[in-house]
Amino acid sequence: MSEPAEKPSHDDGNLSARRSASTSAPILSAWRLILWTAALLGATVAVAVACTLVGVIGLSDITWEIWASRALRMLTAGIVGAGLAAAGLALQGLLRNPLAEPYILGISSGAGVGVLLGMAAAGWWAAPAWASTPVLAFAGASASCLAVYLVAQRHGRVDPYSLILSGVIVNTFNGALMLAGNLYIDRHRIADFAYWAMGQLPDATPMSLLGVCGACVAVGWAVLLANSAAYNVLGLGDDVAASSGVSVHRLRLVTFGAVGVMTAAAVALAGPIGFLGLIVPHICRMVFGPDHRLGMIIAPLGGAIFLMIAETLCRTVGPVVGISRVPVGIVTALCGGPFFIFLLRTRFRRAGQ
Amino acid sequence: MTPEVDILQATDIAFAYRPDEPVLRGVSLSAAPGRFTCLLGSNGSGKTTLLRCLMGQIEPASGAIRLDGKLLRDYRPRELARMLAYVPQLPASSLAFSAAEIVLMGRYAHTGPLGLAGPGDVAVAREAMKMTDTLDFADRMLDELSGGEAQRVMIARALAQQPSVILLDEPTSHLDIRHQLNIYQMMRRLAHDWPMAVVCVSHDVNLAARIADDLVLMRRGLVVAAGSPADVIRQDLLTQTYDVPVDLIPTPGDDVPMVRAK
Repeated sequence: MSEPAEKPSHDDGNLSARRSASTSAPILSAWRLILWTAALLGATVAVAVACTLVGVIGLSDITWEIWASRALRMLTAGIVGAGLAAAGLALQGLLRNPLAEPYILGISSGAGVGVLLGMAAAGWWAAPAWASTPVLAFAGASASCLAVYLVAQRHGRVDPYSLILSGVIVNTFNGALMLAGNLYIDRHRIADFAYWAMGQLPDATPMSLLGVCGACVAVGWAVLLANSAAYNVLGLGDDVAASSGVSVHRLRLVTFGAVGVMTAAAVALAGPIGFLGLIVPHICRMVFGPDHRLGMIIAPLGGAIFLMIAETLCRTVGPVVGISRVPVGIVTALCGGPFFIFLLRTRFRRAGQ
Repeated sequence: MTPEVDILQATDIAFAYRPDEPVLRGVSLSAAPGRFTCLLGSNGSGKTTLLRCLMGQIEPASGAIRLDGKLLRDYRPRELARMLAYVPQLPASSLAFSAAEIVLMGRYAHTGPLGLAGPGDVAVAREAMKMTDTLDFADRMLDELSGGEAQRVMIARALAQQPSVILLDEPTSHLDIRHQLNIYQMMRRLAHDWPMAVVCVSHDVNLAARIADDLVLMRRGLVVAAGSPADVIRQDLLTQTYDVPVDLIPTPGDDVPMVRAK
């Protein structure tokens, strides 16, 4: 009972990276998952060590403090990169939309409004920054998640183009709020804020803030990993997923919650770094296939590696072009813009139809 | 032969998307293991809405749906998925998963949080693919398959849930007549051999009449008639169901005549 293997007549708007039949991977097993985790974890540590050493190796007058601050900055880069990449992958899976990402959907700018609010109000209240910054960032991120989703959805279904458009709207609105917030910031701190708003890893992050944000990313990632099989099934459509045992509404709520927490943590640490959550999951899919279970391990570690290298590039290239510090958000956006257009022109062509 | 017990029982189901436009107005339906039931009716008669109620996707405004004696709404999603599976009208396009991976997704409700397939799950999936004749292209991507092949993969995925009931929503509406027949015969065989209750929304009255064990005719949210094809394929009932005069053309060697709109 063999059939002619004609292509389906409708040209599908290939939403995800495509593997050819000949290279189809074997069924995902626990040991393969563990193997890749170990390999990527090893690579992440290696890159972290290498990036810490770049530019200072061979110098004799390096103090312990400089080593510590460099290592800490790599740790921050790792946490931010991992959080944004995992959040991007989860959003792309949940919304079946290859362009979904915390920055594009306005979640990062929402968190940014929260952080700015904290900065503007810093003079008036006594709450410590490690507590107030992530909480305010989370409040802003959640409000933006909710706004984007409510604007884009119609009867619980989210059209890919509406989603991007509502992201643009929320981004614009949040941008205006941030500009307004600028007016209330102490003049001496406006430069700090301007750098932060471009997406920059600070020279020194308080350990308390790093601890809280690291924990947020870790917990959010664990939640997303636990739901990663559901994103696979969701690719078959809401009805099929629900009849397979996925609680679709609960999955949306939990995913947006985890993404909000992770984005808030990343933004509280390093400002709104864009497009990382878009680029890294796509590269992972191209290399490792569409399985979200493997992706949820590969993408965060890949995101950590990506941001550590990008940050090191910024620190190394900066002095060459005459700037002591290039905000890393500029580099990710310079890579991400063309990548976005590439996705729009190739993978997304007919997805909205 | 042992008496068949209805595993799925819907009693007096009413549903409306908008308060003034009832879609279902008191529908009762039952399905027993070993029976292939087709839901027929004109567009907008409420077939698909009824199917969505039976899936537990929408909650009827009144009436009760029982699955294996227990109210449908008392089932938890994973528990329900081990009892009842669904095959959509169109297989999802643009998925870069292989056919085997898609079928293994049917094991979601049987596996842990990461949905990692154990040897038992792989065996179940393999058996489901054997029954649907899809093993030959287990490694091919879903979007590289023809419509008929992809739909068989979706049926294999539903079988991998090891359900007692399978619901299908016009599974052959985009297929040619050979593959329509192929899918219907396969569903009938599965219903009888598994055995399980198969309920299929159908747009093809002749195909359904030829192959189904039971037919349910629906019109404007009500059941016009239900029973064996020989009982239900009557000029008056079909004219009423489809709001168009029909002819019945006797087909030699077949109990059920062919239906044609006048």
